[in-house]
Amino acid sequence: MFISNLGDVFHHVFGRYPLDYSTTGPDITIRLSDAGSLLKYERECRGSREERYLGRSFSAIHIYPVEPVNLPEPLTQYLEIAFPPVVLPPGAEQTVYVKFPVEIGVFLESEGKQSPLDVFSLMPAKFSLYGLPSSGVITRLYKSDLFPEIPKVDLFREGVMALTLKNCRTENAKVSRAVFDSSSMCLYYGSRVAMTATLEVFSEYLARTSFTDTAPPDCPNRAIDLYRTSSFALTSTKGYFMEAGTS
Amino acid sequence: MSITDIFSLALSNLTGAESEVTSEKDFFATISPRDVLFFVIGIVIAYVLGLIISHHLRMRMSHRLKKDQLDILTGFIRVILIIIAVGISLPGLLDLSVTIIIICIAGVIAIIALSSQKVISNMVAGIALLYESPFATGDYISTGGVEGTVVAVRLFSVRIRTGEGVYVHIPNDQIYSTAVSNVHANVARRFEYRVGIRYQDDTNQAIAIVRQLLEENPYVLENPAPAVYVSDISADSVVLSIRAWFPSNWQLTKDDISRTTAILPNVKDALEAAGIEMPYAQRVVWFANQPGHDESTASKKR
Repeated sequence: MFISNLGDVFHHVFGRYPLDYSTTGPDITIRLSDAGSLLKYERECRGSREERYLGRSFSAIHIYPVEPVNLPEPLTQYLEIAFPPVVLPPGAEQTVYVKFPVEIGVFLESEGKQSPLDVFSLMPAKFSLYGLPSSGVITRLYKSDLFPEIPKVDLFREGVMALTLKNCRTENAKVSRAVFDSSSMCLYYGSRVAMTATLEVFSEYLARTSFTDTAPPDCPNRAIDLYRTSSFALTSTKGYFMEAGTS
Repeated sequence: MSITDIFSLALSNLTGAESEVTSEKDFFATISPRDVLFFVIGIVIAYVLGLIISHHLRMRMSHRLKKDQLDILTGFIRVILIIIAVGISLPGLLDLSVTIIIICIAGVIAIIALSSQKVISNMVAGIALLYESPFATGDYISTGGVEGTVVAVRLFSVRIRTGEGVYVHIPNDQIYSTAVSNVHANVARRFEYRVGIRYQDDTNQAIAIVRQLLEENPYVLENPAPAVYVSDISADSVVLSIRAWFPSNWQLTKDDISRTTAILPNVKDALEAAGIEMPYAQRVVWFANQPGHDESTASKKR
């Protein structure tokens, strides 16, 4: 099956499928086939190929966007989005839109539980350091433009985050980056992959980022959180405190 | 009066008991099944309590402490609980006063301390290492000429697996008194590479190519930004220094071989693809009476 445009691909990729699922697009190929007493999972994306054999006892396969911090290998749980500087007056609250990279996770369902099988992405990755080498954190960096309205994106490459900037200071605040803890990310998908987040600036060196678990109107479907499917997952409800500034 | 009698008398006075020497037979006759049961129950309760406390500590502290730190902490708590249980139930069992028990324990500890100073020294160093945490299980360290991954941090020793797969057991006091380099202590670390190019090659082009290569490598951190600059004009080449930061927990940052595998071969290929070559060591020799030789033309040719 050849699917000519991404809109068609979407309807054949994200969601829950039986174990005879397969899809082929210009950039992504996923195929499940019989291999005797086992199932064979094959995936191709950006020239990389993954092949695994699966037991027959799985009941379904799930494909969803996941927290974009897993590739090329999971070295960090923090996503840093760098964008052109925004200067906010004291007490201001402003919602802007930024893009973030999309990673696609494949999960296997067994006895009602999903376990991760594979993660891939069409976007190149880049790591960075937020803070000092002695006290900072490694982040998955993504450079985005800043948009006043929801931008058009390639569904499998970039998602859109509605980011509300709040200046809680009595002085102007300059914001040009936000660091998010992926353990509390809330990803939704529909016509695009979406997240809603808030960045509160408390001082020159202290800010807090957090996610809102509400579905945007055009993205009603909640994705499975890869982080929460791990056997030992501690999720942060208070968000992430950026202690090395926002610019 | 014999020496035994004098000792027995002194012991009796110390315990406040009557000055009657109890025979061995009488001594065991004083132990009732109830006392034995009390002693055993005390030990069992301490053991079970230790297990319960260890379990709760692991559940609640596993995200704050490393596994080896938790192992030492829970082990220490369980030993302390057993000692307390013995201290409470033993006097009842042997019909001895607490004072005598404390004196006996102090005596045993003094004997052990004198006969095994090295062991005590290692234990104290182990506790100090636990408190200061210069490294933890899984960290890649270098100490006293040994370099490798820490496999276990115990009360008396640290076990390291070297890059060659050799298992090294180092006493704690030796590690505590030696400089330790921990690759994983900071979240990022910097590496430096030096590459020589020919004099006639375009230095700015070479720097741009290397910068582009670093930009495309996901593991070269964007911040702190990598630096590429001319660090030396040597006899044979123009030397470019490349400084780049990498995540410390990236497994390839552990040893030199992996470092060079990640960056240097790609730099060489990229430069050569652009016609920039790394020169061999060379010398231009001019003879003073060589026909056509002139100092000014010689320096120009260089």
